[in-house]
Amino acid sequence: MNDKVIIDITNLTKVYNGRLEPAVDNISLEIYEGEVFGIVGPNGAGKTTTLSVLCGLLKSTSGAVKINGFDLDHDLNEIKKFIGVISQDIALYEKLTAYENLYYFGRLFDINKKELNSIIDSLLNRLGLYKYKNEKIVNFSGGMKRRINLLAGVLHNPKILFLDEPVTGCDVQSRIVIREYLLELKLSGTTLIYTSHLMDDVEKLCTRISVMDYGRIIQTGTPTSLISQHSDCLSLEDLFLKLTGRNLRDL
Amino acid sequence: MKKLIASVQKEFLLLMRDIEGVILMFFMPLCLVVVITLLQHRTFQNLEEIKIPIVIVDLDNDSLGIAFRTGIRNSRMFEVTEITDHDPNTLNEARRNVANGKYQIGILIPENTTSAIKNRAIGLVQKQLPLNITTLINQHDKQVVIMLFFDPITKMSFRDLARSKLNEFASQTETRIIFLTYSKAIDALTNQSSEIVFPKEPIITFKEDLVSEYTGGITPNSVQHNVPAWTLFGMFLICIPLAGNIIKERNDGCMARLKTIPVSYLGIMSGKSFVFIVICLIQASLIILVGIFLMPLFGLPKLVINNNWGALFTITLASAFAASGYGVAIGTIASTHIQASTFGSVSTVILAAIGGVWIPVMIMPDIMRRISDFSPLNWGIRGYYDVFLRNAGITEILPGALKLFTFYIICTAISLLFRKYSATR
Repeated sequence: MNDKVIIDITNLTKVYNGRLEPAVDNISLEIYEGEVFGIVGPNGAGKTTTLSVLCGLLKSTSGAVKINGFDLDHDLNEIKKFIGVISQDIALYEKLTAYENLYYFGRLFDINKKELNSIIDSLLNRLGLYKYKNEKIVNFSGGMKRRINLLAGVLHNPKILFLDEPVTGCDVQSRIVIREYLLELKLSGTTLIYTSHLMDDVEKLCTRISVMDYGRIIQTGTPTSLISQHSDCLSLEDLFLKLTGRNLRDL
Repeated sequence: MKKLIASVQKEFLLLMRDIEGVILMFFMPLCLVVVITLLQHRTFQNLEEIKIPIVIVDLDNDSLGIAFRTGIRNSRMFEVTEITDHDPNTLNEARRNVANGKYQIGILIPENTTSAIKNRAIGLVQKQLPLNITTLINQHDKQVVIMLFFDPITKMSFRDLARSKLNEFASQTETRIIFLTYSKAIDALTNQSSEIVFPKEPIITFKEDLVSEYTGGITPNSVQHNVPAWTLFGMFLICIPLAGNIIKERNDGCMARLKTIPVSYLGIMSGKSFVFIVICLIQASLIILVGIFLMPLFGLPKLVINNNWGALFTITLASAFAASGYGVAIGTIASTHIQASTFGSVSTVILAAIGGVWIPVMIMPDIMRRISDFSPLNWGIRGYYDVFLRNAGITEILPGALKLFTFYIICTAISLLFRKYSATR
């Protein structure tokens, strides 16, 4: 991690059509190059909406976002070249094999065939999926799908990787493999923006976190510093519950 | 280009992994074409060659009755049953048979009809000639009533036709008798005896040439109409699997991933369109082959395609583009499979109906003809008619093909705009 601000969010607001309450309410953040930045919060807090705006899936209602010096509203195509997105959904074609999925997404990033094949083999190997290279996704377990889903977002070696609950539905083994791989990416200098409900993962991975609720950022800091600010909290989960309450958030 | 090729490869692989779906995409339109053509064959026969069953009770059995029966028989429009006996039950039975639908039209020519016409004709002649040469006929005008009875479902046009044929033969008979009477009178005046031979052929004949908008030597028949019409229908039905493909991609989250990759929506959709256009072309080729080789095995006419391959390919390609553009638009705008399949199927049926797929535009009422101008299926059918029936080349079918390409562009533009709009929601 260095001092270079790679994502600069200023007064970002997103109100969905037909809604009065903003899903993201006037948030401002600076994310530094090379850090793993976690966004945590209960369901409906605005995490996914924030990520969706940052990676260009949604247009903001107001505010400004700069990513690696590029304006999100005007330079989205440039930004897309160096970001990777891992969504909550398994965004893969079930009837295609692991290789066919990765090859397709890789080609869309303009990676040449030879290089792409080598990248695919190496990544599949790294996440323990090489022997399933020619298996259709539909036959994969939840954990395997999650790993392929992750690989599809890192083929082009993105500078910034957005991860929206990337281990949902994974078994412990897959979670550990994914977490280890994300730590490798961190070490290689990739900036990760990570949302999760799994506080253990967040605590282990993230250099800094923001706790969001009702579209707003309640607190931002390193996990350790945030926990230490609240003497009655022993863990990130305690802190989370203290800041966001115990009420169920069904909507 | 690399991205387009990658998209095409991916779509092709996805299709091949659903081989049953692909077979159905080809097989169902083929079934549809064969079944509908067989069903509509009868309707087209009505237009050209079906015979109306008619019963003629000829109690006259003289010049008029015989001329009428012969004329009706020779007109080739009627399947004639002739009754000439004088049984009093005959008329009642004929009426019953018309009422129960065995015959559509019944005609009773009463006794002495020819005599009555003769008497009237001679009476007319006698008024013009000296008394000493008139034949001794006690003439007086006695009106003859020829009875026509119809099955209630008989078309008015058939009734008019029967009436006009009767009038025609009555006039002919009357004219003949007048001429014969005059001739005999002149023979009497000149003390000569001349044999009159009426020419068998009329002096005025008609030469029919099919020069309507849709014909150039080949009469539209069920195959010439149904093969292109249902080919287009099948092509436009592609909108349902294509839209479903787009919606599935969106629901699976793949579209969201694609949105974060530096590739345009147009590029992604072009990949899909390309594959579905190829499917449309294969589908059209199969249906045309069925028209040429399979239809005759069912007793249907063979499809005649006139060998204008360039024009045929152009209109088929343009139709395939239009159909795929339509599918992309539906898939982009509809949010669920149900929306897409309901709208896609019903709108295709509507466009087909007003476009002349069910009923040829040429026999539609004027208002429907005007409305049909707005259906892309009509542009396609016109193009096929031009190629199949008018032997048209690329130049002639180009306006229709351009309309179809424009439809594709408009559908794609709507998709792109909707896509842009949906990102702001």
